[in-house]
Amino acid sequence: MQTIELSNVRKSYDQFVAVNNLSFSIPQGGVFGLLGPNGAGKTSTIRMMIGITAPDSGQINLFGRPFERKSLNKVGYLPEERGLYKKMKIIEQLIFLGELHGMTAANARQQATLWCKRLEIDAWLQKKVEELSKGMQQKIQFIAALLHDPDFIIMDEPFFGLDPVNAALLKDVMLDLKKQGKTILFSTHRMDQVEKLCDSICLINKGNAVLQGDLKTIKSGYGKCNVQIEYEGNGDFLEKNPLVGAYNNYGNYVEVRLAPGADAQQLLQMVASRSRVNKFELMEPSLEEIFINTVGKTNA
Amino acid sequence: MHNVFIIAKREYLERVRSRSFVIMTLFIPMLMFGVTVVPTLLANRGTNETKHMVVVAGDRETAEMIRSRIEQQQDQEKSGGEPEIKIKTKQGLPQAHFTVEVSTDTTATQRAALTQKVKDKTLDGFLWATPDAIKARKLDFVTRDVSSFIENGLLGRSVSDALRRSALKSKGLKEDEIDSALQPVEVQPQSPMGKDAPNPQVMFFATLGMVMVLYMTVLLYGVNVMRSILEEKTSRIMEVMLSIASAKQMMAGKILGVGAVGLSQVAIWVGTALVFSAGPLAAGADLLKGVLSIKLLIFFAIYFLLGYVLYSTLCAAVGSMVNSEQEAQQLQFLIMMPMILSIVVIMQIFQHPNSQLAFWGSLFPLTAPLVMFTRIAMQQGPLWDIGWQIALSIGLMVATIYGMIWLCGRIYRVGILMYGKKPNLPEIMKWIKYA
Repeated sequence: MQTIELSNVRKSYDQFVAVNNLSFSIPQGGVFGLLGPNGAGKTSTIRMMIGITAPDSGQINLFGRPFERKSLNKVGYLPEERGLYKKMKIIEQLIFLGELHGMTAANARQQATLWCKRLEIDAWLQKKVEELSKGMQQKIQFIAALLHDPDFIIMDEPFFGLDPVNAALLKDVMLDLKKQGKTILFSTHRMDQVEKLCDSICLINKGNAVLQGDLKTIKSGYGKCNVQIEYEGNGDFLEKNPLVGAYNNYGNYVEVRLAPGADAQQLLQMVASRSRVNKFELMEPSLEEIFINTVGKTNA
Repeated sequence: MHNVFIIAKREYLERVRSRSFVIMTLFIPMLMFGVTVVPTLLANRGTNETKHMVVVAGDRETAEMIRSRIEQQQDQEKSGGEPEIKIKTKQGLPQAHFTVEVSTDTTATQRAALTQKVKDKTLDGFLWATPDAIKARKLDFVTRDVSSFIENGLLGRSVSDALRRSALKSKGLKEDEIDSALQPVEVQPQSPMGKDAPNPQVMFFATLGMVMVLYMTVLLYGVNVMRSILEEKTSRIMEVMLSIASAKQMMAGKILGVGAVGLSQVAIWVGTALVFSAGPLAAGADLLKGVLSIKLLIFFAIYFLLGYVLYSTLCAAVGSMVNSEQEAQQLQFLIMMPMILSIVVIMQIFQHPNSQLAFWGSLFPLTAPLVMFTRIAMQQGPLWDIGWQIALSIGLMVATIYGMIWLCGRIYRVGILMYGKKPNLPEIMKWIKYA
């Protein structure tokens, strides 16, 4: 069953087309990345999925049925614009949001306590939101989206503003949810974090889908035309080299995209003749690179 | 409905538990007590003094006449006249007692000497009633308390009275003939309904009370509704909220929750006031009997609640349109306008109870709470006669409340999606149309 299915969805505000003819679907248990630069229409798309706005045209099916508010009890949403009632105690806030999602107060309290223990903020349960740091508020928001055990979880920029330790903590939770068969949608412009989690993606730019499908298929379609080289010594082999299409130099290691038709072995020999090579690896392009390439192309 | 209740409950509990609610609940009655009781206590202390004054006239007879009128007038005003004044004087509200001396020395030196005495505070004042001054109908009263208009008014009446009397006396009228000629006449309006007719004074005060209560509660709590919606927008929680509840549910929940806080607070105040004023109220029960019927109290409750909710939805609309308190304050007067308009209309209705203005004013939802209530209070004859108007006014208000909640929901929902920018009217109209 498809958890969510968008077909030919379009939304415009006055002259501005936020989402244009977008179609994709996420099967149950899938982890989906909705990617795109700032202002691409990611948040507008999500808002239509959960009924904050309605599409101008097109169809949205949630849990196999046309959208209805009732279904939202099974959806967890972490919006990009984080916000909590500042003067409210954490536990009360979570109970309140849980009750709105149809939980009983007792059940909400129990779940909130469990989640706070898991995310290591149970000491703050009786504190007011305004007393918490940004990162902690972020975690509370995260819990609020997961408290009612939703089947479909939407996370808009989930890792934004988190330190590496907490980001790892959240990533573990998500992997766990994935294991439980929950459907997850990430919306982000930070590719590196999502790459490891997503099964499939949809890359949108200026309201249009420019690339979508299974992540592995997309990447293999680009072939192993990338080389990562760790070297010591002279890096001038990168300049005016017909073998090098483009490169990103980080000092003592460099990522090279081979020129079309170039042979990686030739490059290895050339580099080895001038510098010490510690590592030479052929790779698929990173999602970030695909992203930059595709978006750059459509913008041009 | 479930969501509306949960949202209302949160708003209510959050506010009732807040420090500002406790402070307001305690502070306002204390302030009221301070404003009403303390000045009375202080006034009582200062007024039992006796003032010493001199009447200077061309001849002894005129001077004596003025003196006796002043003394009589102040006795009369202390013990007689209208009931309000009676109550006031019982409590001993400010009215100094004059002891009056007469003098027939109208020379400039006398005036200078008396003026000096007033300056030195050995004399409280003198009235310069020389024949010239009387002829010009303009007497000087030299006193340090030039602003004491009650005293000055009393003097004015006394002197006019004295002059009228001496004029009549010179025509040869006897003292008792003069008394009966100068006896004032009172006109008493009588309704054809006889005893059942409403007491106009009571009506006036009932309406005034309603206006005050409604105005105060809207001012205090309508603004809270506005603030609560603003809070939602500035804390950016609305996107989470909107992913669970519809904008209409949110609006309804907020208005109900914050509204209930206002009602609770007013109930606490009224309850306390009743407990503390149980004695005087029992004494005044007879006076109130004719005026405050159960029927009128029920209509008060209905129109107050509807008016309160209606104005709260207006505040909610303002809250959903603006992005900051400052902007909200600029728009606040828009909400108060219809209420002030109602008061103007009511003044007209007291003069012309059956006018077109009264009719339309009592149907227009924003003026209906005050205007229709006034008309009900003033209605002569069975209420059934204007039954359909009452029903229609209530129906229109309920419809308006529902419509406003719907409208606010739309404005709010789109408003949050594009914050940061101050919307103009065409944009707001567009927002309402957005799906």
